[in-house]
Amino acid sequence: MLSPATRQKITDEGQRYPEKRSALLPSLKLAQGEVGWLPREVVAEVADLLGLSHQAAIEITTFYTMLRKQDPGGCVVDVCIQLPCALRGAESVYRKIAEHLGADGRIEHGHGHAVARDGSATAVATVECFGSCHRAPMCRVNDEYWEHLDVNDLDKLLARIDELAANYRARGEAAVREGGQP
Amino acid sequence: MTTHDSPASDYQPLLLPHPGRKQPVELAEYRAGGGYDALLKAVKQMTREQVIDEVKSSGLRGRGGAGFSAGKKWSFVPKGPGAKYLCVNADESEPGTFKDREIMEIEPHLLLEGVAITSYAIGATLAFIYIRGEYTVAADRLDAAIEEAKQAGLLGKHLFGTDYELDVLVYRGAGAYICGEETALLESLEGKRPMPRSRPPFPAVSGLYAKPTVINNVETIANVPHIIARGAAWYQTLGSAPNNTGPKILCLSGSVNRPGNYEIALGSISLRDLVYGERFGQGMLRGRALKAILPAGVSAPLIPADKLDARIDYDGIQAAGSMLGSASFIVLNEDVCIVKAALRMVEFFRHESCGKCTPCREGTGWLAQVLDRVEHGKGDAADLELLLSLADRISGKVLCALGDFATSPVVATIKHFRAEYLAHIELGRCPKPEWC
Ligand SMILES: Cc1cc2nc3c(=O)[nH]c(=O)nc-3n(C[C@H](O)[C@H](O)[C@H](O)COP(=O)(O)O)c2cc1C
Ligand code: SF4
Ligand code: FES
Repeated sequence: MLSPATRQKITDEGQRYPEKRSALLPSLKLAQGEVGWLPREVVAEVADLLGLSHQAAIEITTFYTMLRKQDPGGCVVDVCIQLPCALRGAESVYRKIAEHLGADGRIEHGHGHAVARDGSATAVATVECFGSCHRAPMCRVNDEYWEHLDVNDLDKLLARIDELAANYRARGEAAVREGGQP
Repeated sequence: MTTHDSPASDYQPLLLPHPGRKQPVELAEYRAGGGYDALLKAVKQMTREQVIDEVKSSGLRGRGGAGFSAGKKWSFVPKGPGAKYLCVNADESEPGTFKDREIMEIEPHLLLEGVAITSYAIGATLAFIYIRGEYTVAADRLDAAIEEAKQAGLLGKHLFGTDYELDVLVYRGAGAYICGEETALLESLEGKRPMPRSRPPFPAVSGLYAKPTVINNVETIANVPHIIARGAAWYQTLGSAPNNTGPKILCLSGSVNRPGNYEIALGSISLRDLVYGERFGQGMLRGRALKAILPAGVSAPLIPADKLDARIDYDGIQAAGSMLGSASFIVLNEDVCIVKAALRMVEFFRHESCGKCTPCREGTGWLAQVLDRVEHGKGDAADLELLLSLADRISGKVLCALGDFATSPVVATIKHFRAEYLAHIELGRCPKPEWC
């Protein structure tokens, strides 16, 4: 399922550390970089490439928040709502993004999860701090940091989310044309 | 209260010497300012023991939280042959903390020089920088700086033409606060679930891959080149010996006009200076009154507004009833509901508990549940005692400090703001439902 280039990179990771198992986390991230998330088959493929048990790879995958157990669409927008960000309006920012996705922007028990109806983008309100508290409110769009957000001026951010969502839809349509699974 | 002039305005920052800068200091610029001269001095003119002794007598204490003597920690590593490792803790996930990020993004060579000197001192030939996965910019810049240093013969084989060699690997995490706990960090690096180990054995004896390992925070390591370049005696003139020496970065966030990283000599300013000083926070946002300050992110007790004269160093913050920890100062104003704030902090610990110990795994959930009902006006008077007794059943009865951290938002807010809790119960709702 993984491309030859990614398989090669994972094999190289396997040589980098004093013990092979240390290569698991970086390798899972490489696989996710290609696929967008970590389906079970991909987790198994990574373990096989490194000569490690599937169980070892699954244990890691299920622990870390950055390793994705579901297809999030074209982007995950993580909005930090921990104290320093909350004090500067982070929850309103999250609600605006959720509204833009046409999803429910409720935050309960310190958590919000908003998915666009067609699955092309996901927004998450999280209690995790991302080290941008001095530039609050903030969010991450995949790996990009968006800081000093202004709830009344989110146009650029929302346009970026739309762009990534559109790319995702286009990839899906292309896959269908080629006769594969979307 | 308005802003005021702050003292110590002639202080020259050492760890973040380029405030406001966006691009990293590259090798040529770092070298031109005397960079890597300390490493040269260490490997050519000093024995390992001399380096350790110098750092020990500088008084440098860990900047990652616990404040343990760096030199002393290094001296626990057994001498003699066999693999040893340095692991730099760059997991920086404590809410309110963003200092290591700026060191790595802007001053990557300062960190690398510290890594090389420390590795030499403990006899490590492989060092890891364990960086949280979200810090991709910092990690990429570190990788680039390592490459630059290798090309120039400052890292890698035959470092500075000596027979010492050192490789540095940047290891990227994947989103788990617990990986900042040093033994969880080691588990993560070994490719296992990052659950803390029980101690002894301590990492200095049996750490990464069961080999002697030193774990130090990024900021701690960034102090080392300065100590070696200018000596322990000079270092001690910053701050007050023996307990509070050296420079310290303060992370300021929350309801202030100018949040950011501010470097000081330990003890040279008070909490009031930090919030209201012209060179620091420049006062409260919208001129509101200050309610409390959290000095160590969400992990140590808050300090109420009547203790603003506390000096900012290890002893000063302890005397004010808390801990300096990571020196992440979160400022709360009078408009913030204290129960809501405590709940948000506890939700963090519930989310981040690794689940290994029952009191922490279950207890953080219970704390959040009871706080949630008080916040939403559905609590009763007995809930305050319930919260305190829950906290008591976690504190000191778990494997790592996360469980203890989780209780401090609850215990400290009830201690200082009991009336506000009771108001929720009497009114049947939160008196201040908005955040800001
Ligand atoms: C839950 C938890 C999280 C921690 N997170 C960090 C962290 O992100 N960075 C850090 O340097 N130390 C962190 N620490 C402290 C480390 O365990 C360790 O004491 C520190 O890295 C030692 O380095 P130092 O002596 O230079 O401070 C954490 C501790 C606990 C219990
Ligand atoms: S105290 Fe909590 S975080 Fe620490 S080891 Fe136990 S369960 Fe894990
Ligand atoms: S609290 Fe939001 S980035 Fe730190």
